[in-house]
Amino acid sequence: MTEKSIKKIEPAMKALPCLSRRSFLLAGTSATVVLAVGCAGISFREGTALKVVEYPRKRIASLKGIQAHEPIHFSYPEEGAAYDSFLVQLDGAAAGGVGVDDSIVAFNGTCTHMGGPLSGQYRSEHAVVGPCPLHLTTFDLRKHGMVVSGHGTETLPQVKLEIENGEIYATAVMGLIYGLDRNTVLERD
Amino acid sequence: MSNEHDGDKYIREDAVPLPPNDADVFTTGCDYCVAGCGYKVFRWPVSDENGGAKASENALGVDIPAPTLSGNWISPSMHNIVTADGEKQHVIVLPDPGMRHINKGGDHSIRGGCIAQKCYNPDTPTRDRLQYPRLRVNGKLERISWDDATEIMAQVSRYVLDEFGVHAWGMKTFSYEFWENTYAITKLAFRSVKTPCYSPHNQPGPGGDAIGLRDVGIDKFSASYDDWGSARVLFCSGTDPYETKTMIFNEYIKPAIDSGRQKVIYALPRATAGVAYAEKNGGLWLDLFPGTDTILHMAIIRIILENAWEDDKFIAKYTNNKWDTDSSFGQGTQNTPSQWQTTWGTFRVKDFDDYKKWVLSQKWAELDAASKVTGVSKEKILKAAEMLAKPVNERRPKASFGLEKGNYWSNNYTNSTSFACLGLVCGAGNRPGQMISSFGGHQRGELSAGGHPGAESPEKVNGGRTRPIDLDRWMVEGNLRFAWVIGTTWIQAMAGSVDLDNAFKRMTIEQASQITSTDVSSAVAALKKRIDDGGMMVVNSDIYPVAPIGTEYSDIVLPASGWGEHDFTRANGERRMRVFQGFYDAPGESKPDWWAVAQFAQKMGFEGYEWKDSNEVFEESARFSRGGRTDFYPIVWKAKKDGKKGHDLLSAYGTNGIQGPVRYEYEGLVGTKRLHDSTLTVPTPQGPTVVTKAQYAFDSHTGKANFIKSPWEIFGDFFDFIRPQGEELWVTNGRINEIWQSGFDDVLRRPYITERWPDNFLEIHPEDAAERGIESGDEVLCTSDRVPVQMGSGLVAEGSDLSFTGLQKKGLIKLTEARVPAVAVVTPAIKKGVTFMNFLRKTAAANALVPRVPDPISNRYRFKLGVAFVKKTGESEYKNDLNRMSFAPRTIS
Repeated sequence: MTEKSIKKIEPAMKALPCLSRRSFLLAGTSATVVLAVGCAGISFREGTALKVVEYPRKRIASLKGIQAHEPIHFSYPEEGAAYDSFLVQLDGAAAGGVGVDDSIVAFNGTCTHMGGPLSGQYRSEHAVVGPCPLHLTTFDLRKHGMVVSGHGTETLPQVKLEIENGEIYATAVMGLIYGLDRNTVLERD
Repeated sequence: MSNEHDGDKYIREDAVPLPPNDADVFTTGCDYCVAGCGYKVFRWPVSDENGGAKASENALGVDIPAPTLSGNWISPSMHNIVTADGEKQHVIVLPDPGMRHINKGGDHSIRGGCIAQKCYNPDTPTRDRLQYPRLRVNGKLERISWDDATEIMAQVSRYVLDEFGVHAWGMKTFSYEFWENTYAITKLAFRSVKTPCYSPHNQPGPGGDAIGLRDVGIDKFSASYDDWGSARVLFCSGTDPYETKTMIFNEYIKPAIDSGRQKVIYALPRATAGVAYAEKNGGLWLDLFPGTDTILHMAIIRIILENAWEDDKFIAKYTNNKWDTDSSFGQGTQNTPSQWQTTWGTFRVKDFDDYKKWVLSQKWAELDAASKVTGVSKEKILKAAEMLAKPVNERRPKASFGLEKGNYWSNNYTNSTSFACLGLVCGAGNRPGQMISSFGGHQRGELSAGGHPGAESPEKVNGGRTRPIDLDRWMVEGNLRFAWVIGTTWIQAMAGSVDLDNAFKRMTIEQASQITSTDVSSAVAALKKRIDDGGMMVVNSDIYPVAPIGTEYSDIVLPASGWGEHDFTRANGERRMRVFQGFYDAPGESKPDWWAVAQFAQKMGFEGYEWKDSNEVFEESARFSRGGRTDFYPIVWKAKKDGKKGHDLLSAYGTNGIQGPVRYEYEGLVGTKRLHDSTLTVPTPQGPTVVTKAQYAFDSHTGKANFIKSPWEIFGDFFDFIRPQGEELWVTNGRINEIWQSGFDDVLRRPYITERWPDNFLEIHPEDAAERGIESGDEVLCTSDRVPVQMGSGLVAEGSDLSFTGLQKKGLIKLTEARVPAVAVVTPAIKKGVTFMNFLRKTAAANALVPRVPDPISNRYRFKLGVAFVKKTGESEYKNDLNRMSFAPRTIS
């Protein structure tokens, strides 16, 4: 984590180097992109509004190398324990899913209640991660990491994925990762 | 079906501001469940710089990233922007990482963890807070002044009291939203107006909620939370603390399970996460049909007695023998308030041997019969008895017993007495790790300023004795002319709510005489005319517009201010008392309820309502707590002695507070860990200290516990009527983790929670669902044309007339209809034959299906005994929606 400290929160995102053209167009001069009603694909359908914050694009895996229900672990948007994330192919469509049937999703792997590790807690039958070993919170991976049961005061931060030429890339995060006041040092002065 | 606040979406924020070192700090408690977690508030102007990510740069003193379990992570839901001291300020409402009790180390539930979102902020769905008094003029609520509002109320009240008497003037109010308010409310009702027409939010009349415990000699909140953790076996009846008093599970039960010290037995028809975790770790789920706890308890007791596993030493020392029993002319079995009412001899035993003989003679206590009625397998019942009482290596298991509303809101009196007797047989009730108590629902914020004038109750039984009023029945039958409803959804929160709703309509908006002008004398004249015509004036005090009572029926709506806006006090479920400090400005002209009561009382010419702030109310109220379970009089006494304010002295105890009753000893204040504590020794009472028997012995005439019979016949005729017939299913109900009470904060005004639960749900077993072609996400309708409603207020009755059969014979049971929609969630976590829905979804009130026939012994409702036909009506909009409402099981372990 950075040695720098933030002074103000609002303009912090302006320093981001990785604005996509689309997000820039949608959001004007701000880098935070609230994708509303029906802008793009299944995750952004009516009834929800997702704040998708883009970070430097990172290759996670090849589409060919994905086996259903076998989580792949990676760090995003930076390196370090807070950024431990996982990608998994579920049965059937998931919000924000990519690939076959929109079934591949990725999430941060730390519980939003008190920071418990969710690694090894994927439950394929129900497309759920959890229970968190600390206080038993479970998250629905089909529904943007919604709390199914338990205490998280935020959904599990979802890592936005894109596929290009058979490769899966992480491009953005939806939600604040446990332990942090912002998701990346890039956001600091 | 759609949500009231569809326009507000949950935004997954990606950042939070950190509080700077010079942020103001306040202490408070969660406003929601009985656990009463401690919270810290950090506040600083938005114009100031935020804190930094290094420990030296923020008020938390934490380096970002905050470590796991540090209690120092601020999630976006813990942040809000309020107006304080007239200025826009950031607030962080953080579960206090300094907690040594309850939410230790800053743990929290999903409810409390989001409580910052409760604060009024016009940029959030809290924007519809009531801010000004309003008068319904030509059907529309028009803004008026507090002065005019209380003047109209006073003139009409004076007319009602003069022309119709105190029985026509009623109040229905919360009983928990802080001592300052409930003291003022009850001072008005009981000491100034002197009306018997008063009822708290959760029952039809005044008095205790689980009086079976009281009659056994047990204070409902005698246990400390440590007792739940130190028991080797914990019997949870009618609740999963994980769901509804989350920290009791997280910080007391789960650590005990994880260390291998504790096994948990759950008795309830529905499994949730705590039940699943207990089962996985050697515990037991007694999956009983709603309302059959009495038989389950008796069957377990019988097995214990047949095997001579009872705690005979405890029983000999701490329960009444025949001489003790006969010595009573106070609160013994011979003369409990319940006995006094109708039922001489029905419950009384001479001693334990007499009780044993009775249990062994009961056919319902036999294993085969009990298994059949309760639906719990014989193996499980046997196993439960073994776990609770069978000595291992000649050592008895140390068992504690906690109950909640699944128990006493299905069959009130005998469920709670048989539960307590099961505990006594196992040697529980008066020592560490071996206690019998309620877990609790809401926090303990009731403080009565005087006795309810019960003798004035219109309910009489033979012998000239009175029973507490059933305010619902009294109102439905047209006896009230003025009703002041404070902080509760009277209609949806009570039973048989369709009939109740119709009565409100009939008595208010369907009356010919309506207000047509904001002019005080014109409004008063219209209301007097309506009252003469047989109608009623309704006043509703609340923080939000409450449908339908505030939005449609009330003539005057008063804006209340509350949590976070003033200093208030109350206790949690282990009698732990704290000050909940105010930290931001109440919106508009909203005022605390004690203030509104004082304005009205002064207009009525009543004396003793000249309070300047909530501390003055607190200090005045202290003496009414003396001798009670939350006696805080010594705090106020010592504060005065030290030249301090009462609130300030209690605030010094911070978020951890002090447990009542408080004693003054050697210049200091001492709290009480548990009641009935046989290990407690106290010095000679000093200063203002009151040492009551209940602190060191059972709360009975002898200080010993009473065994009390629990005859199924008292309830059996009603059970046989209400149980599902043909294709009907039980439609039971309860609280769920994510939603507090009616959802006024979370479901209605917290998009994060609304996304999880956009509509009411109905959990249904896969086999019941398959028979009806129902899948998760389908829209279903629960219908009944036989919701029984009791009639006949104020009749002088024989005791036997009050049985369900007796009421039917007298023609006093009316059958009403109800239809409640929901979204199906198919899950084996609910027992076959039973369905479950959230208990108080305002738009689809489960209580519409619930019988309004109170327990004849205790006058308490059987809220859990809804019954209906369930059919699919289509697919809900959520069935294939990947953004809202999860259908994944809540029992993954």
